[in-house]
Amino acid sequence: MPRDTLAELADEALVVLYANGDPDAARLLTKRLLPRVMGYAGRMLSDRVEAEDVAQEAMLRLWKVAPEWRQGEAKVSTWAYRVVTNLCTDRLRARRRRRLDALDDVAEPSDGAMSVVAGMIEADRMAALDGALAQLPERQREAVVLRHIEGLSNPEIAEVLQIGVEAVESLTARGKRALAAILSGQRAALGYEGAE
Amino acid sequence: MMRGGEMIDELDDLFASAKAAAMQPSDALMARVLSDAAALQMQPVVSVPVRRRGGCLAGLAAVFGGAGSLVGVGSAAVAGLFLGFVQPDGLGSVADVWASDTVDQVELMPQVDALLAEE
Repeated sequence: MPRDTLAELADEALVVLYANGDPDAARLLTKRLLPRVMGYAGRMLSDRVEAEDVAQEAMLRLWKVAPEWRQGEAKVSTWAYRVVTNLCTDRLRARRRRRLDALDDVAEPSDGAMSVVAGMIEADRMAALDGALAQLPERQREAVVLRHIEGLSNPEIAEVLQIGVEAVESLTARGKRALAAILSGQRAALGYEGAE
Repeated sequence: MMRGGEMIDELDDLFASAKAAAMQPSDALMARVLSDAAALQMQPVVSVPVRRRGGCLAGLAAVFGGAGSLVGVGSAAVAGLFLGFVQPDGLGSVADVWASDTVDQVELMPQVDALLAEE
């Protein structure tokens, strides 16, 4: 199929084409999905190597499931977010079990060090956000990241997390409040002190 | 108002920064993913000649419609040879009933001279 025509197709149609042996379909799906999958895994894990492993595994599962893919049942992106959520959850739980959670180092910077820095550079701001996200309960973290960083709608998040839309609204609201409470002590370091 | 409440407004700014700073897949990862895709994609069907087990005998059996038929044909051939060599007495009496006269000479290609002479 011509590439111009392929580019107009939905992800679901591309999965079917891939299953039928179209090599360009895989390339286009990877181009569309991999950045989203990688970005989400990276935000959840705060570790590039682990995020790449998760992203590759999620795409691998897509290639495997492609022959049985039934159009109309689920959006490919929603399915991919669900797979990444589960893979990240497994890895984060394993980290906790091993007591090697590198995020803890980021989540609990010494107050002294933070107050000395007048303004964080962007990477440090993101590290602070990641650290704060890591302190949220699992479901709240997933809902907040999917809603506010990945930009999914509440019904889409409900499908990813396999819960009701009302539960999503509650999780995102509570998660955002908790995040604000965690980060409130770092306002100056985040560059917000004196902004009002 | 609690400090967390103040921070709520700034969170959107942080989220926007996080969105812009999302980890991007490296070229190496892209290559690995595409390699996986190619490896798992439906392979074209290649017809490989199937080597028949059993060699000539199996081929012969196939000609006769299976091993059972081949056994039947083989048995009949052996029985025919056996009867030809042994020539049991009963076989002679059957031939007597069918052709009782003794035949000394058989003209396999009758000449047409006699017919021509009549004309």
